[in-house]
Amino acid sequence: MDFSSPSSGSSSSASQPSPEVFMDQLKSQLAQAYAEEFLETVRGKCFTKCITKPGTSMSGSESSCVSRCVDRYIEATGIVSRALFSQQR
Amino acid sequence: MDGMSSPALQQFIEQEKQRAVMNEMVSKLTDACWDKCITSAPGSKFSSSESSCLTNCAQRYMDMSLIIMKRFQSMN
Repeated sequence: MDFSSPSSGSSSSASQPSPEVFMDQLKSQLAQAYAEEFLETVRGKCFTKCITKPGTSMSGSESSCVSRCVDRYIEATGIVSRALFSQQR
Repeated sequence: MDGMSSPALQQFIEQEKQRAVMNEMVSKLTDACWDKCITSAPGSKFSSSESSCLTNCAQRYMDMSLIIMKRFQSMN
C-alpha cells in the first residue's frame, strides 16, 4: 500500500492531505487490495476445479466451467458471510 | 489543527480494521469450506446440499474455534 504522504519534513499543512482525502484514498486502496486478493483466490480455486488436464488450448467446456466457478465462488462467499453474521434467528 | 488525529479519522481507522478482520474471516472460511463442500465441477447453480454444507461448515468452524479457545484457556 502506498501511503505516499509528504514525509519530507514537517512543512506546511497544505501539503498534508485533509482527513477526508486521506480516508477516501485509504478506502479505495483497501478496496483494491481486497479485490486483488479475492481474484487471486478465485484463480487458484477455479484452476484446480476446471483445468484438470491442461491441453494445448482452452476447451469450451473448460472456459464455461471457469465462468460458472467464478459465479459460484462469489455466491459461496455470500453464503459463508451470511452464515457468520446473520446466524441464528 | 492536526487533522490526522481527528476523532473522525480514528473512528474511521477503527472501523476499517474491523472490516479487515471480518473480511479475512469470510475469505478464509470460504476458501476452506469451498474445498470441503464443492467436490465436483461447479454447476450453474449450487445444489441444496452444497449450499447447506457451506452454511454448516462456516458455523461449525465458529463452534470449533470456541472449543479450541476454551481448551487453551483451561491449560497451564
